[in-house]
Amino acid sequence: MKLSTYNFLTSMAIKGVKVGYPLKLTINKKDVIESEFNPVFIERLLPKLDWAAVYSAAQVAELADDIPAAQPDNMAEDEQLLQRLHHLLFEIDVLEGQLECPETGRVFPITDGIPNMLLNEDEV
Amino acid sequence: MHIEQKTNKAKKAEKKQRRSLAIIKADCNVSQSDSPTLYLAILNVGLSNGLTEEALLAAAAATGGQVSQVLMLPSKSYCFLMCTTLADSQLVYDGMHNRATIGQKGAVAYLSYLLELPQQREENGWQKSLPDGLVLLQNFVSEAEEATLLQAVAAGAASIADSLKHRQVKHFGYEFLYGSNNVNPLQPLEQGIPDACDFLWQRLELPTFEPPDQLTVNEYEPGQGIPPHVDTHSAFKDPILSLSLQSDVVMDFRRGAQLVHVLLPRRSLLVMSGESRYDWTHGIRPKHIDVLATPSGSLTTQVRSKRTSLTFRRLRRGPCDCQFPTLCDTQQTTTPQEVCEKLATHASHLEQQNVHEVYDKIANHFSDTRHTPWPQVAEFLNSFQPQSVLLDVGCGNGKYLGCNPQLLSIGCDRSLGLLGVGNARGQNVFRCDCLQLPVRSSSIDGCISIAVIHHLASSERRLTALRELTRVLRPGGRALVYVWAKDQRKNDKKSTYLKQNTAVNKERTTEQAQRQKLAQQLEGMDQQLPVSLPVHTNRTEFQQQDVYVPWKTKDEQRTTFLRYYHVFEEQELEKLVQQMEDVVIRKSYYDQGNHCVIFEKSKN
Repeated sequence: MKLSTYNFLTSMAIKGVKVGYPLKLTINKKDVIESEFNPVFIERLLPKLDWAAVYSAAQVAELADDIPAAQPDNMAEDEQLLQRLHHLLFEIDVLEGQLECPETGRVFPITDGIPNMLLNEDEV
Repeated sequence: MHIEQKTNKAKKAEKKQRRSLAIIKADCNVSQSDSPTLYLAILNVGLSNGLTEEALLAAAAATGGQVSQVLMLPSKSYCFLMCTTLADSQLVYDGMHNRATIGQKGAVAYLSYLLELPQQREENGWQKSLPDGLVLLQNFVSEAEEATLLQAVAAGAASIADSLKHRQVKHFGYEFLYGSNNVNPLQPLEQGIPDACDFLWQRLELPTFEPPDQLTVNEYEPGQGIPPHVDTHSAFKDPILSLSLQSDVVMDFRRGAQLVHVLLPRRSLLVMSGESRYDWTHGIRPKHIDVLATPSGSLTTQVRSKRTSLTFRRLRRGPCDCQFPTLCDTQQTTTPQEVCEKLATHASHLEQQNVHEVYDKIANHFSDTRHTPWPQVAEFLNSFQPQSVLLDVGCGNGKYLGCNPQLLSIGCDRSLGLLGVGNARGQNVFRCDCLQLPVRSSSIDGCISIAVIHHLASSERRLTALRELTRVLRPGGRALVYVWAKDQRKNDKKSTYLKQNTAVNKERTTEQAQRQKLAQQLEGMDQQLPVSLPVHTNRTEFQQQDVYVPWKTKDEQRTTFLRYYHVFEEQELEKLVQQMEDVVIRKSYYDQGNHCVIFEKSKN
């Protein structure tokens, strides 16, 4: 699972959960796969991402020093930051770990890189 | 020199014979006999290299030996004969071994005696009693009456004449429509059945017989035939009458593995009623020579000549109420209300067992068959601005995720097996159910859901899946949904799915015959199904909306899995989308057997 995907996932489908976001991420095993950096792509994608979850992903991935807690203005001019975001969102691949619902503590395992967000019938 | 050549020829024959015997031992588990027996293996020639049953019988007859049974196996370069007596067998052996050049390009036959014949795949269709309800009345009309009848139907120029692929046809009373295999009772033809036929009904002496009101005249030249079919139950009543004129022909009746050949002599009347009318298919193989049984039980051949058949039927004008559901269009086409209720009650169990578990089991094979993106889906994906976020709900092996590399594409599916394929290709995927998408609301620019919601077993669940797509879309975001259509034809053009049924399209068989075959295969299957539904025959028209569709694995076991589908009627998907308040339909279309809708989430 790339951390860009993580940015979209919630546990709001669980019965009684109000927001379910961001999920608490744990990384047990990860891979880094280099990919082509496209500053325009990152810049234009950012408005579609939730910055709080970008920052929490950075903390778990031990890249919090690279990413500010609040989204800075004029991102387009900060190519270094865009490069770091690219690395965080598209180059880190979580192979083993888990996502946890912030309200119920329900754990969604990540196995072989695939988060299992499937709920049991009695949970929805 | 001359002698040496001969020795070589004999050596070659011996070598070929040995090799062929090893093959039939392996294929059919039959062994050679050193002394003469009734059973002969004919080696080096067979169906795979152009030998016909007729040519084989003609060659055997030329030796003076009598043959009582022929066994030809499809795609094999050998075949088998059983002779009437040992003396016959020896005559055939001596007359044909290394002599009869009956194969392609003059290939010679090598013969061997066998201890027994291999176990037959198809029963001998001659030593059989007729199907129940089938009556053959010999010499039903005289030669003079035959001439009168032929003249009467030839004179009917105002009726509808048509040249089908394999024969000439003409209709009286009502036109038989070959696209739907039915008649339109509201559109009688100007010309009814000629009066010259009236004497036939009196001669029949059937109590409570209603005279026919529809006549189809078929003219068959030698080599022409009609694929196995059953006359549409809801179109015509029982019985169906068929009068053979001008010459004899052999008609084949089939039900599952059962096969009965019936010789229809010139001037005979065939009466099909009961089981033979409703539960057996009938057809005529396109051949120039018929194989017939002689009174003594041996087989012989007869050259065909031009034949005209008059088929008399009476319109039913309502649903069929027969006791034979396998081939009954009435009983196969409607999903009864109680079944819909049952589906809704058992929906999640049914989807679990007959959708999710099946996809996990067939994941690899299924993935191999799903690689080319459908052009109109690709077009939709290319209609988004670069850097848009795409969610593919039911992404399968992820074939659409890399389609437009300028998008951030994320896919989800129930099947871990299929997700593994996409993940291994570096695509972004997660596992979930399409009824509860674990995705932030209003975060996605575009959704696609291709061939997914037709796996949900109730209308409420199908709507819930659409509502989830809408929820995750941002205002102004668009979704494309594909579902399988019940109707696999548009403007009388077949979908790709139907076009793949080459056997039917080349008129070697009919959809009905394929349905019958499947019904027979399924009888032996022990599947615990949550809801009892009809099983669809692949690459044929759907008969009902809620069905199981078989998937046969390509491995040695050839396991058949049944997947549940709800195929959509025209406008059904649109109506479902319109139940959501916050969307507008942008486009709806039919694409290769699928109903498709593009809708947009409203901006306010």
